[in-house]
Amino acid sequence: MKKLRCSVFSLTLAACFALCALIPMAGNAGDQLLRMATTTSTDNTGLLDYLAPAFQRDTGIELQWVAVGTGKALALGQNCDVDVLMVHAPEAELAYVGSGYGAKRTEIMYNDFVFIGPKNDPAGIRGKSVNQALNSIARDKALFASRGDDSGTHKLEIQLWESSGLVVPDRESWYIQTGQGMLPTITIAEERNAYTITDRGTYIKYEDNKKGNPPLIILVEGDDSLKNQYSVIAVNPENCPSADYENALKFIDWIRAERAQKLIGDFTMLGKQLFMPNAR
Amino acid sequence: MDYIAEGFITALKLLARGDPETYSAFFTTLRVSSISILASMVMGIPLGFALGYYSFPGKRQIRAVVDTLLALPTVVVGLFVYALVTRRGPLGILGLLFTIPGIAVAQTILILPIVISLTATAVSNLDVRFRRTVSTLGAGSKRTALTAIYESRFGVLAAAVTAYGRVIGEVGVSMMIGGNIKWHTRTITTAIALETGKGQFAMGIALGLVLLLLAFVVNWILQIVRRVR
Amino acid sequence: MYEIQNLKRRYGDGFTLDIPSLAIEKGKAYGFVGPNGSGKSTLLRILASLDEPDGGRVLFHAETAQPREPSRQSKQQDRALVTMLLQEPYLLKRSVFENIAYGLRVRGIRRSLRSRVHEALMMVGLEPHTFSHRKWSELSGGEAQRVALAARLILTPEVLILDEPTASVDRVSAQLIRETIRTIRHAHNTTLLIASHDTTWLHGVCDEILKMQEGRIVGSGEENIFTGPWLPAPDGLWEMNLSDGQRIRALPPSEMIPHLTENAVALLDSTSIIVTTERPDHVSAQNILSGMLAHLYTFKHSERVKLDIQVAELPMTCNITRAAARSLGLLPGLDVWVVFKASSLSWQWVEIGIGE
Repeated sequence: MKKLRCSVFSLTLAACFALCALIPMAGNAGDQLLRMATTTSTDNTGLLDYLAPAFQRDTGIELQWVAVGTGKALALGQNCDVDVLMVHAPEAELAYVGSGYGAKRTEIMYNDFVFIGPKNDPAGIRGKSVNQALNSIARDKALFASRGDDSGTHKLEIQLWESSGLVVPDRESWYIQTGQGMLPTITIAEERNAYTITDRGTYIKYEDNKKGNPPLIILVEGDDSLKNQYSVIAVNPENCPSADYENALKFIDWIRAERAQKLIGDFTMLGKQLFMPNAR
Repeated sequence: MDYIAEGFITALKLLARGDPETYSAFFTTLRVSSISILASMVMGIPLGFALGYYSFPGKRQIRAVVDTLLALPTVVVGLFVYALVTRRGPLGILGLLFTIPGIAVAQTILILPIVISLTATAVSNLDVRFRRTVSTLGAGSKRTALTAIYESRFGVLAAAVTAYGRVIGEVGVSMMIGGNIKWHTRTITTAIALETGKGQFAMGIALGLVLLLLAFVVNWILQIVRRVR
Repeated sequence: MYEIQNLKRRYGDGFTLDIPSLAIEKGKAYGFVGPNGSGKSTLLRILASLDEPDGGRVLFHAETAQPREPSRQSKQQDRALVTMLLQEPYLLKRSVFENIAYGLRVRGIRRSLRSRVHEALMMVGLEPHTFSHRKWSELSGGEAQRVALAARLILTPEVLILDEPTASVDRVSAQLIRETIRTIRHAHNTTLLIASHDTTWLHGVCDEILKMQEGRIVGSGEENIFTGPWLPAPDGLWEMNLSDGQRIRALPPSEMIPHLTENAVALLDSTSIIVTTERPDHVSAQNILSGMLAHLYTFKHSERVKLDIQVAELPMTCNITRAAARSLGLLPGLDVWVVFKASSLSWQWVEIGIGE
């Protein structure tokens, strides 16, 4: 009798687990699916959370995206694990398309990069040009946090060091290579009272997280070399026959069209616009 | 420090008002871990039993290999499985990447060594008198093996609990294979990684507490089962 | 029941067992004595089919007349007829009821389990309603061993093998176990094979006692037990008076436990006795006793003979070589002399059961 009760109980427990395993996901089996790889900074701004429902309403396609570093996003496209990319590393992108991994590269929006740092600005870079600012930092050996992860932001940062006539301070003790996404890097910079370069979109998100009173503030901006261009690229069907090229094209057409571009422009945080639509 | 206290309050708020993102992550975690636990036990217990119970050439070497796999970092397992399930990989055609079954497969690989090793230990800890006793009471080899599994049940249960704890709290595999896609493959742990990455520590703590709550409930149920027996 | 031929069991370089021949008869009780490491447990395990010999054969005859070698399948059937109780109490991790019922369940018996288990529990002196549902971890050592015994008795084995059944067990349980075994012996005519240090008990239960040393059977080593009373004599030795005025004199034990002197029991190995047909004159031995040869036995496995000699009211067992017996011209009914030294006796305290 007791033994029967035990067996029944155990079986019920096992059945519960099995049931959990089979709960149909809150997914719509009917809708079509488009897989995207994008960068963590893009994802962190919340732009895609904002655009995706509109895209689904307009086209019936559900957008799913993974947010990884730029390098990994490109690799995922190369491995045919996603159908479309949204990244911001123009040089790498052009090479990518040139190698035949991507197709129909379309510029859609831009924002800019800014230098941020502690309010007391120990190296005194406020208002200076990029060239001057970096030189001051190197001279004073002020703490500087770098993405260090081969992302679009990181590649830009390397370029800025070089164009300022400086060697990338790879082994310097004051150069902190986090190897992580933008927000984690800003967090680390904040912790260490360091300078860093970030895209404005992520900075505004950071500002929002800190309820409008962030410990790190914008110190250098506006330089031409700080422009951050975003593009979408379809994964090349010649390289990846299994990729959903048709829906990727639909997305590209949708996001460069007037409606989406206006949505992008209307996307604000703390009353500030994060992205400038510039699709042609 | 205040984000820990804030985390507690946030956790209560999320659960109370049925925050959809939290509940989605919660059920995703539950679903994925249930599949991987079931699969790893179905495969691991018989294998662990064979490893602990029978003698055969190479037994010690195999045991050493299994025990070494216990130390596998989750990220390494994630990379390994990614290489298999990426579209270009041998199992690409199954379309497992960025899906829940994909995470479950990878997690099963992760905890299989745990189940096998702990089960083998439980079985091999059986006293030599066990076999003699059972044999002298008339049990043949098949019956002896079955009785051996039952005799080791406490050790096997411990293996299950350990494996469950491991799988419920892991991030590396879920991140790499799942992709942390909102509403779809975002588990509690990947959500925590995301929030802390964004600097939202209170939210990270809150989700962590939700996870602990889940782990506690499951363990509590297992304790009841143990006592009933 | 068993016929053992050239049984050998190796361990490292030496032999754990080396028995040229041994026969176990149905329905008899055999005791095995000997120091630890003499091979008793190994022999019993082999007879219980729990261990394999390295050489030689063990033939097992069940109820049927034909002797057959234990094949794998017949071994299975044989085990139902033979069961062994291990030295240390060991139970499966389940309730007392399930432990006892295990053997029956294995045989597919499902009916009337409850009544049979209760019967087995009562046989070992455990109250069914109290003990049936206890878990294996809720028993004392003695209770556990009794449950283990019940698990075997319930199978009504033809052969019951016991390896030191009362060794690791409290006094009360030991007593109950001894009584239970004595009872079933007479009730079911079970063949018993018992290894024990408790020689007094063995003498009470067993028909034959085999002494083992270093893997061999060294004759049907029987010990004479002199229960006393032992009284100190003026010259420092201890004496035991016999009804016809003769006295047995013994060297007192080296370690004395004063308040147990009355309960001292002396043991005399039957091989330590010299038998003569005429009273010897110049011997140093303290004990020269006159008696009559009542029985004379030979054994298949030994070059020795066993003599039952009546000395006053005491039956004494002597063990001498066949050659010696022949040269003495021994016949039952003959008056003989038994000679042994005062130092040949060893001591056992009955009260606590500590062997010397």
